[in-house]
Amino acid sequence: MTQLLNRLAALGGIALALWLVATGQAVAAIAGITGPNFNLTARTGYISTADGNSVLAWGYANGATMQYPGPTLIVNQGETVTVTLTNSLAVPTSLVFPGQSGVSTNSNCGGAGTGTGVGLMTCEALPAGTVTYTFTATQPGTYLYHSGTKPALQVEMGLVGALIVRPPVANQAYDHPDSAYDREYLLLLTEMDPDIHNQVARGNLSPDMTNYFAVQWFINGRNAMDTMLDDNLPLMPHQPYGSMVLAHPGEKVLARLISAGRDLHPFHFHGNNVTVIARDGRLLESQPGVSGPDLSWSDFTITAVPGATYDALFQWTGKNLGWDIYGTAAINPHTCTDDGSGFDALTKEWCDDHYKPIPVSLPNLQDVTVGMSYSGSPYLGATGALPPGQGGYNPYSGYFYMWHSHTEKELTNNDIFPGGMMTMFVVVPRAYPLP
Amino acid sequence: MNTLKLRKLWVPLAVAAAFAVPQMARAGIYVQCPGDTDGDAKWDTPGEVQPPDTHCMHISGGDGYSVMADGKQLYTFGFSDLTGIKRGTGSIDARLDAGILAATQPAPTIELKEGEQFYLTLSNVGMVLRPDLFDPHSVHFHGFPNAAAIFDGLPEASIVINMGGSLTYFYNIVEPGTFIYHCHVEATEHMEMGMLGQLFVKPAQDGQTFEYPLGSGKTYTQFVYNDGDGATGYDKSYALQFGSFDHVFHEEHIGVQPLPFANLISSYTFINGRGYPDTVNPAALPSAADNPRATDNGGTVATGQPLSALVEIDRASEGSTLLLRLSNLSVADFFSVTALGLPMRVVGQGARILRGGGEVTGKDLSYNTNVVTLGGGETHDVLIDTSGVPAGTYFLYTTNLNFLSNGAEDYGGLMTEIVITN
Repeated sequence: MTQLLNRLAALGGIALALWLVATGQAVAAIAGITGPNFNLTARTGYISTADGNSVLAWGYANGATMQYPGPTLIVNQGETVTVTLTNSLAVPTSLVFPGQSGVSTNSNCGGAGTGTGVGLMTCEALPAGTVTYTFTATQPGTYLYHSGTKPALQVEMGLVGALIVRPPVANQAYDHPDSAYDREYLLLLTEMDPDIHNQVARGNLSPDMTNYFAVQWFINGRNAMDTMLDDNLPLMPHQPYGSMVLAHPGEKVLARLISAGRDLHPFHFHGNNVTVIARDGRLLESQPGVSGPDLSWSDFTITAVPGATYDALFQWTGKNLGWDIYGTAAINPHTCTDDGSGFDALTKEWCDDHYKPIPVSLPNLQDVTVGMSYSGSPYLGATGALPPGQGGYNPYSGYFYMWHSHTEKELTNNDIFPGGMMTMFVVVPRAYPLP
Repeated sequence: MNTLKLRKLWVPLAVAAAFAVPQMARAGIYVQCPGDTDGDAKWDTPGEVQPPDTHCMHISGGDGYSVMADGKQLYTFGFSDLTGIKRGTGSIDARLDAGILAATQPAPTIELKEGEQFYLTLSNVGMVLRPDLFDPHSVHFHGFPNAAAIFDGLPEASIVINMGGSLTYFYNIVEPGTFIYHCHVEATEHMEMGMLGQLFVKPAQDGQTFEYPLGSGKTYTQFVYNDGDGATGYDKSYALQFGSFDHVFHEEHIGVQPLPFANLISSYTFINGRGYPDTVNPAALPSAADNPRATDNGGTVATGQPLSALVEIDRASEGSTLLLRLSNLSVADFFSVTALGLPMRVVGQGARILRGGGEVTGKDLSYNTNVVTLGGGETHDVLIDTSGVPAGTYFLYTTNLNFLSNGAEDYGGLMTEIVITN
């Protein structure tokens, strides 16, 4: 146990060190490439899994570097989107855009370097060939794109990514103010059976998929604890997207959750319930364009089913805890002025609990095991004594919450706990600005 | 020497080793409960006064045994209820002693009322049959709104209690609904081993009377949520928690072998910690013979599975609307369940009323169905109106039919009976 905790702490330490080194990169917006014209190349490469392995994968590249998942394509509602796919693989491949209608391919389809035929979902790019897909992004929302060619194998190999269509109004997910957010994050869920990849690496381009058995689970193409590293780390050139979620108390976080693999995942949010306002790129509304998301639901776990996308709003305030998360007068002198909503307009403190101490005394440090992200104090933004070598990986003295698959076996990396489909949401005190 | 005898020897040795070292036992069991003066989380001693709206509970985190419906005995981790036990005068704290090898499946049910201040003390009594382990434990109040990291039970983000110590969690209970709780330390292992429990909060609206539907003449005084109109009213409720064990994982565990995380499957499925037909046994199941502290072995542990899953409603005396608080804490699988011949109405999920935005004022999103599906960490509130059905015995079972088994024994597992009388 202690060994495991140490390992966890070490991983966390590396994660945090890298994260700190990389601060300055913008984390507020979802990392991706903006359109409406994209050039993607299907390539091979090796991804790093957190059990220390290196796995052959196929992925879409924006240029020379294959990545898993593919580049997040960000476009504006109403734009005509063209995606030109060049195939550097040894097998035919293609692109499909679930949720988009009227996707057309260029007149070259069926000509040199391309293929069409019975049983194909779409026009394919043959090895070294190129196909251009065009559609109009009529509806805002969160979508998926992936290979339409032997998708059981090719999506497993990594040919999958996210497409985000933005409405005209900034910081809204849809054409309705009830979809407004302060920060947005992408959480793209996939799983992997490395045996399939090993067979492909050995030259079997049609491996048996019937014995598929996932032992690796990913968010945005990384296993925990790598999920908590920043975007675009040189150490992980083929997995550029982190998924650590940061927000101040009271800020509205939009989680764009995509179930991009083949299994169901009960994705659980620590800290508070989420309100699911949209499913598969459509606001959950009884009267489109009028009612707002009146069919939204609240839950602490989203049943993420294969191929589906969910837009969920999350907000953490610390309301009604019965004690002041900012501490007592002795610890942290501060004021709370009710702005009429019960909260302080500036600090978002819940004024009913102002200066109330934590109602229990905590055990002595000798009697507890301290988490790597425990600041030493139960209060937000405060620090306290920590045993030597323990805790301390929490520079903001924030509150950490795990967002993860509640099929807990998926919190492992090929038989090694902890890891897998897990990331952290951090409540960062308002004293620390976030990009 | 057979292993049972060996383990009988281990127990006192392990207890001694774990708790006799002065500096480790420095804090010992420490129950925090306002108004309670003798550390039993109860106000039963003269002079003790329960403050208004205060709720206390004391539970252990440790190990034990569970008996599958085909007779297989599995080594488990779990919680047990220590509320009401005083320190005593012995050399070993009686509360600690009572928790050792007493883990139950599921964990003691935590039933709360909106408006309460809940003080939950967790004491880590150690896993005495794995003396090589020094695992802390925690309580994750799964779904608690606006949780504070310190009481979220997440070991990475807070403190978790070591063997021989106690940590008191504090929760201001402001939201009604069906939640769950479990240990979050080494979550895959500790949850697969059985540190899983039911937790629900009754709404402030309870005690008021609503006629629903209006004009029907049917009135309710108990509700799942503060619905304002009686739409979540019920007459009798049961909490049914689904789960599963991989027996190989448990056998490797007691064998001190590397744990098979990747190969984890649901070889035994259950409701409230027991598979069919044990689910319909109204009594506590006797403690496993392998448990050296079982009463049959001269110990004090009478059962590792106290909670039945049999659902009974007598319409003549109890009313006709059943509430089933369904939850799933399997670490491996989703389960769909049906109640053959009975209409299900889903009125809540994720500890929120099933209305737009989870708000009482939101649009009604409740629905009638025959099947509900729950992944790990999901809860559903299901109403069953039995008024239109003949009296008799009905079955509630998983429609993932492969899971209707107890290991290799067919026809068992995640199934129970709903007995309706006139």
